[in-house]
Amino acid sequence: MIDYALAAPEIFMTAAICVVLIVDVFLRQEKRWITYTLSMFALVGAAVVSLLFGTDSVATTFSGSYVADPAGNALKLFAYVIVALVFLYSRDYLERNGLYKGEFFVLGLFGLLGLMILVSGNNLLVLYLGLELQALSLYALVAFNRDSAAAAESAMKYFVLGSIASGMLLYGISILYGIAGTIELGPLAAALTEPGGLTVPAIVGLAFVIVGVAFKFGAVPFHMWIPDVYQGAPTPIALYVGSAPKIAAFALAWRVLVEGLGPLHVDWQGMLVILCVLSLVLGNFLAIVQTNFKRMLGYSTISHVGFILMGFIAGTENGVRDAMFYTIVYVLMATAAFGMIILLSRRGFEAESLDDFKGLNQRSPWFAFVMLLIMFSMTGVPPLVGFYAKLVVLQSVIEAGLVWLAALGVVAAVVGAFYYLRIVWYMYFAEAKDSSPLVAATDLRTAISVNGLSLLALGLFPGYLLNLCASVLG
Amino acid sequence: MVTTVLFYAFAAILLVAALGVITARNPVHSVLFLVFAFLQSAVLWLLLEAEFLAITLVVVYVGAVMVLFLFVVMMLNINVEELRSGFTRYLPLGIGVALVVVIEIANVIWFRSEGQAFVTPTPHAADYSNTKELGGVLYTEHVFALEIAAMLLLLAIVAAITLTMRTRHRPGLKVQDVPAQVAVRAEDRIRVVKVGPVKE
Amino acid sequence: MLANYLPILIFVIVAAGLGVVLLGIGFVLGRGQKDQEKLSAYECGFEAFEDTRNRFDVRYYLVAILFILFDLELAFFVPWAVSLDAVGLFGIGAMGVFLALLVVGFIYEWKKGALEWD
Repeated sequence: MIDYALAAPEIFMTAAICVVLIVDVFLRQEKRWITYTLSMFALVGAAVVSLLFGTDSVATTFSGSYVADPAGNALKLFAYVIVALVFLYSRDYLERNGLYKGEFFVLGLFGLLGLMILVSGNNLLVLYLGLELQALSLYALVAFNRDSAAAAESAMKYFVLGSIASGMLLYGISILYGIAGTIELGPLAAALTEPGGLTVPAIVGLAFVIVGVAFKFGAVPFHMWIPDVYQGAPTPIALYVGSAPKIAAFALAWRVLVEGLGPLHVDWQGMLVILCVLSLVLGNFLAIVQTNFKRMLGYSTISHVGFILMGFIAGTENGVRDAMFYTIVYVLMATAAFGMIILLSRRGFEAESLDDFKGLNQRSPWFAFVMLLIMFSMTGVPPLVGFYAKLVVLQSVIEAGLVWLAALGVVAAVVGAFYYLRIVWYMYFAEAKDSSPLVAATDLRTAISVNGLSLLALGLFPGYLLNLCASVLG
Repeated sequence: MVTTVLFYAFAAILLVAALGVITARNPVHSVLFLVFAFLQSAVLWLLLEAEFLAITLVVVYVGAVMVLFLFVVMMLNINVEELRSGFTRYLPLGIGVALVVVIEIANVIWFRSEGQAFVTPTPHAADYSNTKELGGVLYTEHVFALEIAAMLLLLAIVAAITLTMRTRHRPGLKVQDVPAQVAVRAEDRIRVVKVGPVKE
Repeated sequence: MLANYLPILIFVIVAAGLGVVLLGIGFVLGRGQKDQEKLSAYECGFEAFEDTRNRFDVRYYLVAILFILFDLELAFFVPWAVSLDAVGLFGIGAMGVFLALLVVGFIYEWKKGALEWD
């Protein structure tokens, strides 16, 4: 019998999307704040539902296509917070730039629903559909500003590359189904462990699945869309694309690689090592030469993805925990960094050049300090949480016996320090180009301050979040 | 026996049509060749007794997606000669990708059949309905996936409207109001003015 | 099962044969005296100055994509209708939810004015 209560968060979110969509279409432009408020209530409601119906044990429903477990629940709760932050940061910017439309929030919620389905998917078909649901809403969001040629171009690139990657993923899934005769993750893993199993075709299928996962993460050589999308899309949408989907990418890798294809760990470990090394090297070195802050964040994402992959490479239980920890920390940092761009921009002016950060200390010492926290955390300076995130993934690859990879990770972090600290240098020691004070709404200021300080707080007590990751993963 | 002959006949036509897609000078002809290729693939699916997929291919792809393709081709005004200028440059890459796919398919088939001869599947009885079998699992076992598919369609509606619809009713924009035009009466348009004799 | 499709095969063969024969007869028996002038594009006595095809309005695209979406919905209905006795009340409920979600989309596009040409 189907236990609908297990899937309550998804059911609630589906209903909420329909309500927001219908209410929005009946609203006049000046009443658009109702859509915003309703979307926020939808997120709060989903959080309440997730907390009420969350389970301590692992349970499946819908004939094994949906799994409810504490880790999935924790990831969903974190995703609600992030999407709420995205909406909060974006409202002001959208209003200023004539993009304040209900569809932004509806598409954002659609993307969140895709993420939730992906987090809780227990068979390859559902995982694929969740991935598509999120990807489709992201494509539409990137092209959201129809008057911007850059946005249309980046959306086109994202869409074409994304379609190819999703086609590859589907091809890999079909090969795996052909071998194992099942799409459910548990039985799939069982079929792959059978002695005399068809390992060679399974590896072929695996290779295609890895392409799909790597594209979702944006790992080199499937990273081409990241810099263009981050730079071309309006900042709130770059913020959305740069934050929540990383949780989805983690969930996809965790469900498919660890739970479904766990028996092939030796095989995908090698593939991930290649992706990881390329991402670390290329991401960091290309980030140095960027002058556009959003594009630089794009390349920095790629290098962070290299670190997230390290956790999976280790393949141990601790490795997955570390990857989850790193993902959560990275998403928090990326949200704060994009939030700062929104904070600095004004009507018709995007603070996306590195030069726009020059002399920030003179304009607003407090936000220069918040930015300092974000940049230090991205670099990995103790006692900020970014440091512990790097530390745990490096530890896990050392435990797996890949000392050289850990050494490369350290070198990459040092190279990365150059471009992050350059911004700090600009903020404190360079002359400001315009010394006008910051104009931003109070809610935006408060939220970014809290977001930045959370990096410090989590860094001072890193054990709390790490233990939480370990306990929910079971 | 008959099905084998039919398979090779339709597969050959499929290949010819597929070649036509990439060699036709006129992009509209390319799309029509693609329609033809889809029809042939539908027949191949039918030969595999996957009748629902065959019907779907005809209804959705031939009936709707290809219409969209035609619109897009006509909207973009593609010049194929320009597109083809890169043909030889990309040829090695194309051959490479094709080779990889061929090797992989061969690989899967080879290992699947390792040590065992292919068993020809027995044809189903005359009253077997593939559509019914599919429906039997789609609406029970995979109901979760079905509802996600509905959400995907809803998302596609929202995305398509967001991206392509431009409202034309901006204030001050003059638009044609057909009912008003039809309902117009002579009195609204012409004013008969009696002009008296004018004295110099 | 495939035997059920024999009439369609015969139909296809007859249709294809008829098409080939009719065109072939015209080709063989017609007394075509083709020359450059006859084969060139004819446009009221002056040289053709643009392509045959005009560019389409993007609005056609919106209509076509909305059509595809409801066409796909139809594709989901066919197996449901065929297997209704097997899936029972649960299947009706499942399709009800499916349909309800698309009705939400329909209300949206109607109210948004996407179905109006102007």
